[in-house]
Amino acid sequence: MDPYKVLGVTPQTSDDDVKRAYRELARKYHPDNYINNPLSDLAEARMKEINEAYDMIMNERAGRPSGASSNGGGQQYGGQQRSYAGPNAGLYSQVRQAINQGNLGLAESLLQRSGARDAEWFYLMGTVYYRKGWYDEASRAYTQACQMDPSNMEYRTALNNLNMSGGYGGYRPMAEANMCDCCMQMAICNCCMQSCCGGGC
Amino acid sequence: MFGFIRPVKPELRVREADRFQQVYCGLCHAIRARYGRFYTLFLSYDMTFFALVAGCGQADTPPPCAKRCDAHPLVKRPCAQRDEALELAADVSVLLTYHKFRDSVADDTGAKRLLAKALCRMGRRGYEKARARLPEADGEMVAALDDLQALERQSCDSLDRPADASARLTAAVVPKTGDARERVLRQMFYHIGRWLYLLDAAADVAEDLEHENYNPVVRRYGLREPDLTEIKEPLERTLERSLADVCMAFDLLDAARDADLIRNIIFLGMPLVTRQVLDGTYQTNGGWGKHGSL
Repeated sequence: MDPYKVLGVTPQTSDDDVKRAYRELARKYHPDNYINNPLSDLAEARMKEINEAYDMIMNERAGRPSGASSNGGGQQYGGQQRSYAGPNAGLYSQVRQAINQGNLGLAESLLQRSGARDAEWFYLMGTVYYRKGWYDEASRAYTQACQMDPSNMEYRTALNNLNMSGGYGGYRPMAEANMCDCCMQMAICNCCMQSCCGGGC
Repeated sequence: MFGFIRPVKPELRVREADRFQQVYCGLCHAIRARYGRFYTLFLSYDMTFFALVAGCGQADTPPPCAKRCDAHPLVKRPCAQRDEALELAADVSVLLTYHKFRDSVADDTGAKRLLAKALCRMGRRGYEKARARLPEADGEMVAALDDLQALERQSCDSLDRPADASARLTAAVVPKTGDARERVLRQMFYHIGRWLYLLDAAADVAEDLEHENYNPVVRRYGLREPDLTEIKEPLERTLERSLADVCMAFDLLDAARDADLIRNIIFLGMPLVTRQVLDGTYQTNGGWGKHGSL
C-alpha cells in the first residue's frame, strides 16, 4: 500500500494538508455514515486503510517506527440497546441476531410468522426495511413503534437517524446545491438533540 | 428510463461537457452498429450516464474519433471510441427500452397502447439479439417487471414495494462479476432505480389522477387533488435517502475516469431534478431540438 496514494497527497504535501486530506476522507467514509448500509463492511475496510495510511505517513515524518499509533482513528459505532422483556423476547432476540448477521430474509419471515404486533415488532420490522433501503416503509414502522411506546429511546433514535439521512456526519445530496436547506436541517437537528437531552444543552 | 439523469451544465468544465456529448454520440453509434437505427431513436441521457459509470474503472480515456450520423450528416462530430462499456450500455439500453414498451402495452390504453404494440413488434429482433448477449440480466428484468405489474394490478398502497420491483429491474443492468465492485454498483443502481420510479410517479400524479391510472404516490398518500405541497416533505426525504445511498456507493467505487462528470450528475443533477419535480418546475422538453447537446 502506498499511503500517499490512499490519502491522495504527495510526499511534498505539508503536515497540515495531509491532516486536512485525512480528515476529509475520514468524514466521508466514517462508519456512522454507513449505519444500516449494506456496504458498511467496504466502508469500514476503506476507513481502516485510511487510518493506516495516515499513521504510516505521520510516523515516518516523526521518525517513529511504523506501527506506533498517532491518532484515535475511526471510533466504533455502538448503538445503545435496551433489552426487551416481553412475551416474545426469544423471538425478538433471534430476529435481532438475524439482522446483525445481515440475514434480512430470515428476520423478515420470523417477524411475519409471529402474530404479535407490539412496538418492538414494528421497530424490528422497520429496521429490516431500513436495511433493505425501503425507507418509506421503515419510516412508517418506526413511527408506529414510537407511537406505541413513546418513552423508548432506541425507537426514537432510529426514527431520527432515518429522517437525518444517514446520521449526523451523513451525506445530504440535496443540501450540496442548497445551503439554506442545510441550515434548516441543522436547526431541526439541534432541536431534536435538545429534546433528547431534556433541553440541557 | 425517463431522462431525469443529467448533468447540471453550468457546473461542468468545458471538457466534461464535451466528453458527455462524445459518450452520448458514441453510445448512439454503438447501438446503431449492433442493433440498427430503430433503437437509436430511444437514446437517453440516462443510458449515457450508465455508459459513463460502466467505464469509470478504466484508467485512461482514448481520444475521440470523428463520425457522421443521421442527425449530423454534414459535419463529423467527435465521438467516444467504442469500448466494452459502450457496448454493454448499448445492449442494456435495448433491453430496457424493449421492456418499457412491454410495460406500456400492459399499462396504457387506446392509441398509446397500439403505438407501444407496434414498437414492440418493430423492436423484437433487436431485443432477441440483446437477450442472447445478456441472458441473465434479461431474466432478472422479466421477473422484476412481472412483480411490478402484479403489484400495479393489486393497486398496492405501498411506495416501497413497487419501487423495489422497479429498482431490481434497474439493478439488473449491472454485470455479474461476483466482486466488491458488483456489490457497489448493484447498490448504486438499485437506489437509482428506486429514485427514478418514485420521482416518475410524483411527476405523473396529475395525469394519473385524471385518467384514474395506478400511481403509487397517489395510493400511498390517498391524494384526491394533483397538489404535492402536503406530501412534498416526506416524499423528498425518502427520495433523498436513496440519493444519499447512491452517493455513498459511488464514493466506494474508485472511479478513475470521468469521476467529476459522474459526481456532477449524482451530487448536483439528480438533487436538482428532484427539487424541480416536487416544485412542479421540471420541464420534460429541456433537451428537445438540441439533439445530443445539453
